[in-house]
Amino acid sequence: MKKILGIFTLLVVVCIATTWLARDKELWEANDYIESIKASSFLKPYNIENLIRRTALFGVISIGVAFVIITGGIDLSIGSLICLVGCGLPWLLTTKGVSLPVAISAMGIVSLAIGLSHGWLITQLRLQPFVVTLCGLLLYRGLARGFTGDQTQGFGTGFQSLRWLATGKLAVPGLGGFGIPVPCIILLVVAVAAAIFLNKTIYGRYLLALGRNEQAARYSGINTNAMIIVAYVICAATAGLGGILFVLDVNSAQPVDFGNFYELYAVAAAVLGGCSLRGGEGSIVGVVIGTALMQVLRNMINLAGLPTHIEFAVIGGVILVGVSADELVKLYAARKRAAAANV
Amino acid sequence: MRSHLILPILLTLAVGCNKTEPIDAKNPATPKPALSTKKPRLAYVSNGVADFWTIAKVGAEKAGKDFDVDAQVLMPAGGISDQKRMIEDLLIRGIEGIAVSPIDPANQIDLLNTAAKQTKLITHDSDAPGSTRLCYIGMDNYLAGRLCGDLVKEALPDGGKIMIFVGRLEQDNAKRRRQGVIDAVLGRPVNPDNFDAIGAELKAGKFTILGTLTDQFDRTKGKANAEDTLAKHADISCMVGLFEYNPPLILEALKQAGKLGKIKVVGFDEAESTLLAIKEGHCHGTVVQNPYEYGYQSIKLLLELHKGNNTAIPASKFIDIPARQIRKDNVEAFSKDLKLKTGKGG
Repeated sequence: MKKILGIFTLLVVVCIATTWLARDKELWEANDYIESIKASSFLKPYNIENLIRRTALFGVISIGVAFVIITGGIDLSIGSLICLVGCGLPWLLTTKGVSLPVAISAMGIVSLAIGLSHGWLITQLRLQPFVVTLCGLLLYRGLARGFTGDQTQGFGTGFQSLRWLATGKLAVPGLGGFGIPVPCIILLVVAVAAAIFLNKTIYGRYLLALGRNEQAARYSGINTNAMIIVAYVICAATAGLGGILFVLDVNSAQPVDFGNFYELYAVAAAVLGGCSLRGGEGSIVGVVIGTALMQVLRNMINLAGLPTHIEFAVIGGVILVGVSADELVKLYAARKRAAAANV
Repeated sequence: MRSHLILPILLTLAVGCNKTEPIDAKNPATPKPALSTKKPRLAYVSNGVADFWTIAKVGAEKAGKDFDVDAQVLMPAGGISDQKRMIEDLLIRGIEGIAVSPIDPANQIDLLNTAAKQTKLITHDSDAPGSTRLCYIGMDNYLAGRLCGDLVKEALPDGGKIMIFVGRLEQDNAKRRRQGVIDAVLGRPVNPDNFDAIGAELKAGKFTILGTLTDQFDRTKGKANAEDTLAKHADISCMVGLFEYNPPLILEALKQAGKLGKIKVVGFDEAESTLLAIKEGHCHGTVVQNPYEYGYQSIKLLLELHKGNNTAIPASKFIDIPARQIRKDNVEAFSKDLKLKTGKGG
């Protein structure tokens, strides 16, 4: 809980800073400070909607990788799986003329099969997760490039009702045109299901236990292999879902670069949200907050008018300062408690 | 055990080298006698993977068919190191000619000069003026940028605020293209050596260029850039996308914001959704290069050079394949022609 509090505080600080950076400069100069802040482009309903949608898209894949990280593993193939599914779906629908249910089912089966094979290779052949998923990273993008012939894939002007899943919004009465983006509902469903699975079921306990100490978990009767396979299947399934949502959102996927490095965004969000890369720790709410922090930081660069090429430097710097400050506060509090106990 | 194997391998290699070395060392440009009965092998190397290059590939392969040569098209997916590897491999195979679009001309001079020593080397799409390449086939990106800037001025007769979107600015063609747009919009004289800082707001007369946003080829980020611009600048008048995928992403963002047709869009290249948007009036126009001709003319010129016909190179060492402006009035004809050549088009 404390870890989430730290990252949540950082998110709030970044939101306040972005609101100030994106304030209406003319009103500010006219000494109308409150109106200037109120008119901040960060607080515009349109911007909030965009942020929620982006957080939802990245949040779905981050929740998936959190399960793998909780087991002490890693999945580097997420970006390439997003590419495979993100290019595969429009390819099946527009180039191959496959029906929608068949195309969606095919992508679902591919994602689950990939997750299963990752889990099987890691638990049965005892291959390292890094190696298995690194090969996946190369393999799935290569496959996507192969069957599409390196052609950009998209839905053109068709499949509008399907694209509503990523681009649509549900109007909220009385909020001046503000609507909740549909991907937010999808994230909510995924997050609630993931949180219940992790915190309220015995299997979630098993995952956390095996992440702490796999051998101890196995000796206490937990089928650790099955649980690890489950974690990789969840990760691949959410990556597949993410791939579908990403391509529905941007409507254009070039196999060479679609989803490139998204595994790093996902892993970063999960770790920021309290997952330990050593395994055994993790919180779904934290992962969503971690994802939101990354997206608000990217939004801040544009709204503050900073050059986009320093984006990663800003994100890296802010996160490093933020988590360092969080640790320092904890250290200070612990010392104070220790001193009080000694007195 | 190993030493038993190594000796015969070394001997085989040494014998192999002795066989070919005298021919190559004395006159590297002379085709090997053994190849004279075979089709000449000519390579067309792009600077990446994109639909643009797929069109160029069709042109190169058509020339291969027309002139009965083995035209190989290579697209490096891994950037500059991948392109270097491909060129080195081609040289090892003793290819008769290479047309390349160098990714970083200033820093690839050594590689290009090495290639030019061993085979017929020309550049296409992006030039490397400091190298010993024989000729450049393409367009002037700065002038093409100016054509794009003229479209912006046309779209905004009363002036307004403009934002530029591009994949990355490290590439020479992107820099020149962007500068061309800026100089034309701000009414500056032709000077390809200009360079305005990326984040700076530029004003002249009734036009304001708010800045340039890059996405490093991440399309989700590209779309987010367009969305953030709409959030930040409620009074924006025109959005300009300089790489092929930028205009479609801008149009997507505008559509989702319900601002399609209300904010002008000017683009580059011939993505299907850009052409469709021009037809529907949601995009004012686009500047297109002629990748098909890049491919076709490159293979044609390389074949002439392979035959020893050096007169095929003009005195300027530049074969201009000019960019064109596509607007609502000529988009149908352009799409039709594109479809005819490549099977693609809006």
